[in-house]
Amino acid sequence: MTDRVATPSPRRPWGLVAASLVAVALAAIPVIHLVVRVLSADPAELAAVFDRPRIPLLVGNSVLLAASVTLTAVVLGVPSAFLLARARLRWRGMWAVLAALPLAMPSYLAAYGWLAWQPSMKGFWAAWLVLSFVSVPYVTLPVAAALRIGSTGLDDVARTLGRGPLGSFMLGTWPQIRPAVLAGALLVCLYTLSDFGGVALFRFPVLTTAIQQAYSASFSRDEAAVLAVLLVSLALLVVLGEQVARGRAARRIQAAPAVGRRRMVRLGRWTAPAVALLLLVPAVAVVVPVAVLLARVLTAETLQAFDPGELGRALANTVLLSAGGAVVAVLLALPIGVLAARHRGRLVRAVESAGYLALGLPGIVVGLSLVFFSLSVMPALYQTALVLAFAYGVLFMPKAIGSIRSATAQVPTSLEDVSRTLGNSRARTWWTVTARLARPGIFAAALLAAVSAMKELPATLMLRPTGTDTLAVELWQRTDISAYGAAAPYAVALLLVAAVPAFLLSDARAGREATREAIA
Amino acid sequence: MSRLEVRDLTVGYESGPVLHAVGVEVPHGELLAIVGPSGCGKTTLLRTIAGLLRARSGEVRIGQRMVTTHGIHLAPEKRRIGWVPQDAALFPHLTVAENVAFGMLAGRGSSRAARRAARSEEVRRLLELVDLAPLAERLPGQLSGGQAQRVALARALASGPELVLLDEPFGALDPMLRGDLRLAVRELLRAEGVTGILVTHDQAEALSIADHVAVMRGGEVLQLGTPEEVYRTPATPWVAGFVGDAVFLSGVLHGDEVATGIGRLRATPVADAAGLVPEDGAAVTVLVRPEEVRVRRVDAPSAAPAPDADELDGVVTDVEYTGHDAMLAVALADGQRLQARVTASGLVPRGSEVRVSITGPVLAYAPESAATA
Amino acid sequence: MRARRGLALAGGLTAAALALTGCTAPADDEETLTVYVGRAESLVGPLIEQFEEESGIRVEARYAATPELAALVLEEGDRTPAEVFLSQDAGALGALADAGLVAPIPADLADLIPDGFTSQDDSWIGVTGRARVIAYDGEQLAEEDVPDTVDDLTADEWRGEVAFAPGNASFQSFITALRVLEGEDAAAEWVAGMAGNDPELTENNLASLDLVNSGQVQLGLINHYYWFRQAAEVGAENMRAQLKFLPGDPGGIVNVTGAAIMQGAEDDAAARAFVEFLVSEQAQRYFVEETFEYPLLPGVDAPEGLPAIESLVNPGLDLSDLDSVGESQRLLADNGLI
Repeated sequence: MTDRVATPSPRRPWGLVAASLVAVALAAIPVIHLVVRVLSADPAELAAVFDRPRIPLLVGNSVLLAASVTLTAVVLGVPSAFLLARARLRWRGMWAVLAALPLAMPSYLAAYGWLAWQPSMKGFWAAWLVLSFVSVPYVTLPVAAALRIGSTGLDDVARTLGRGPLGSFMLGTWPQIRPAVLAGALLVCLYTLSDFGGVALFRFPVLTTAIQQAYSASFSRDEAAVLAVLLVSLALLVVLGEQVARGRAARRIQAAPAVGRRRMVRLGRWTAPAVALLLLVPAVAVVVPVAVLLARVLTAETLQAFDPGELGRALANTVLLSAGGAVVAVLLALPIGVLAARHRGRLVRAVESAGYLALGLPGIVVGLSLVFFSLSVMPALYQTALVLAFAYGVLFMPKAIGSIRSATAQVPTSLEDVSRTLGNSRARTWWTVTARLARPGIFAAALLAAVSAMKELPATLMLRPTGTDTLAVELWQRTDISAYGAAAPYAVALLLVAAVPAFLLSDARAGREATREAIA
Repeated sequence: MSRLEVRDLTVGYESGPVLHAVGVEVPHGELLAIVGPSGCGKTTLLRTIAGLLRARSGEVRIGQRMVTTHGIHLAPEKRRIGWVPQDAALFPHLTVAENVAFGMLAGRGSSRAARRAARSEEVRRLLELVDLAPLAERLPGQLSGGQAQRVALARALASGPELVLLDEPFGALDPMLRGDLRLAVRELLRAEGVTGILVTHDQAEALSIADHVAVMRGGEVLQLGTPEEVYRTPATPWVAGFVGDAVFLSGVLHGDEVATGIGRLRATPVADAAGLVPEDGAAVTVLVRPEEVRVRRVDAPSAAPAPDADELDGVVTDVEYTGHDAMLAVALADGQRLQARVTASGLVPRGSEVRVSITGPVLAYAPESAATA
Repeated sequence: MRARRGLALAGGLTAAALALTGCTAPADDEETLTVYVGRAESLVGPLIEQFEEESGIRVEARYAATPELAALVLEEGDRTPAEVFLSQDAGALGALADAGLVAPIPADLADLIPDGFTSQDDSWIGVTGRARVIAYDGEQLAEEDVPDTVDDLTADEWRGEVAFAPGNASFQSFITALRVLEGEDAAAEWVAGMAGNDPELTENNLASLDLVNSGQVQLGLINHYYWFRQAAEVGAENMRAQLKFLPGDPGGIVNVTGAAIMQGAEDDAAARAFVEFLVSEQAQRYFVEETFEYPLLPGVDAPEGLPAIESLVNPGLDLSDLDSVGESQRLLADNGLI
């Protein structure tokens, strides 16, 4: 019975706001760079771009693909998460790992694998299939985490009031997982908007392929910038839409607090369909492409050129650079995530949205803007590992925000109050209490950024130290000259190394513990 | 002298002030309970005293130190206070002993130092004080609600605070446990000689353990006094009704008597907030506590009639039995209703015809203060 | 405290590790040359090693696709670390020249390559040639079934059977050649006819070839050497796609790859030495043998089994005419192809 209604919200700490603004300013570099370029370009040339008959088609395709992939990822991801978190299943840890595995798959590699097997695949349906299945874990992982801490108390009440199982789920559990669903859907949607590799291989024309063409045929950065501004406008709509939806969800959750315990579901005759669903996603996203690639290795003649030393160096570079990128991404995302978890208001919302925008841009656009930025601000470090790690940080900071935000929000503020009154400053309280308790979420944020950095190509090509190759670069260098056999070891190595963070993200341990509970 | 002094405290942000010119004082080593309904500002007052919220104006002095005054806001970590929140808020990653030791290392505390502190004599002493020494190595998740609150209390005391602030610490506990813990808290604070403030919405809790009670409503302190003062001479009819069961009658003041629908009662006029005492001949609101209503069964003439009070006829319409006593609802012949508290031995069954009288003097309030109730 | 030290330690280690990753810098006394290479490392890398051995100059080569590298240099502007830019097509070099980022090629080198295969103003130098060809599905078609001219491709017979990459620079130079050789109206008619003939639009030449190889389409408009690359991977006898050269036809023109010396490196002896090496007999022969491209240095023979480069060059076409690529793009855009 605390008088919550009348309690004034604590004042925003200026240090946190300042740190967030710095992080957002860095994250906004690509967008600012684009806007400046568009504003300084020849208006007639820009108008000509918009006059092209193909533009409405490209925008329409981008929207169609992003919407359908997001919807599919949610439709597949939410039931998968439910099975992982709430169903009595054997080998829970294995299912959790399988569900996270598609994270390790770069879209271009999945698309390539499918094409090698089914050369007739092309257009919308092919791009939809591969992008949807590759991005399902972005929904599954946060939703499963939300389900693991949520309760079924309200479902039970709804059942006693005459609702069926599905109706009860929608009434009781859905409001608890809705923020997680929205956060995952946001990442999927922005990822789809910005993807180039997958759509290009399936010849589905969207804004990102048009941007690539602007660079490759006309060498026109202005034209590319106009198209990229179109793309970022779509991303802005998506981010704002998610915020509106999340705001509504948050209000609803306050009205329906999570109370009581979780009930595990016995699957019975639904076991077979459940297992089929849990197998389907990794099969489409990982197993089929990898199998096809491996089959290619056996038949290829260029395999002889394989150099284990080169592979080892690329592997080490990939791990080090992505780890550095993950550290930067988390450092940038921390103030934004904490601010969003602890404070409300227009400024906070604006900071958070701006943090997400760069995720809607293709890597080449972001890479070029960071080329400009690092040459202007830290020319001595240009094309060094530090700048590349910084670029990874800027690129993948948005993926870290959500995880940090929800992990922080789960730490009760009363713990911070106690720590303050026991003699710890705000910063020290944050470090010894909040960060300590949010550590799993912060770690997950770092893993998500790391796995994305491992797969990154365009910015890597531009910003890496000369002569430093990552697995993605080596892979590209071989597929680019159709040396698929020579490429395969690198593809496999990339998958394996990216599978490590994916495995850690799968929370297989939580899964195993739940198994023990379910059996006991 | 580590007393607490709050003067003219005003707190509030976007949604307007939440506290208006609040003032309270607690002498050294004593316990103040702040009571009031939800939204009255009592938790805000507590958080402002702790420094977790900033005051817009006013002063807070803890002992000799001015911690909040115009333009000055001492950070909570520098106020030397202990904080016991409603949910105990034990650090889930630390053992019981480490939780208690947390404040002893304020501002430094590597994890090794924390482990060392957790083994210290002082932590053991505090855990014994709250009767939890055997649980020192447990994690908070393995404790019951009452145990968690006792750890929270020990933790708050461990840093040697001048003032301990308790924000509804018993709210989530079952009634049996609540009673025990209440007494334990009072004893502990007395034993340690620490000044305390307890926020609660349970007026019985406030009256039973506090040395002083502040009754709040709408961001203001309506009355500050000992439990007896607040109960016996509430500042307003609303306070009267909030801190205990009350029957209100309307009447007209004549000298030291009030003429009411149930006869003339001896009355003491009470000044309102502006210091105005009801005048002779004024309409007043009369407060009668149910225990001041005496009930006599008509068919049991053995009970002596009240010596100097009028008796009225009535019927018992309801009985609310609580074991040690009972509350009767009585409908008088003229339709007025009264509540009467009787001892278990004086229990009267529902439907009985009774004679009712009022014992002792009653309080008479100007009706405006009743209107604001 | 300890936790904070732990974080500092982790941060320090990460920074050190990152610094090491980038620590491939040579000893200071060694002469180095930074080259941006818009071609595959496995094809150009061995050639660069030969140059390093012979010259004693260390080459810092940054490999990426030509469009990305061109965009990178345009973004870097005069702060680019590149001293030489090796490009897969002439368009990228033209874009760098237009932006004023290149230095003129020394006249004695520029004169080595015949006019028509290098830049008019010596802003860059041609290195190798690639012929536009029709790749056809050898299982469905015999060579004589394949048209001798792209003009026939708009016929109903080839509806849905032609793959090309409209955004690709070499395809766009073919469109320009078409406009120059057959006139604007005829070219516009061809593009419209093609656009209406349900073509398979791809991202690049390789994807077009893959479609032919897998039997998805019967014909693909590509550069000849992609076929040889793929044949090297899977074996020539396993290639389902076959090539038809189109001597004299706009669809059979020769595009060039080339190199430019970047602004600021005009007096750099190493840059000059590298460009000189690229047009040396040794390097030209390397391209013939390893990448099956046409050498541009007179006196070096074309790859075996390929028609002579002279037979492919249309006398009516001057390479400078290919500058009007902007109009070709507008034509493609108006027909919804890009």
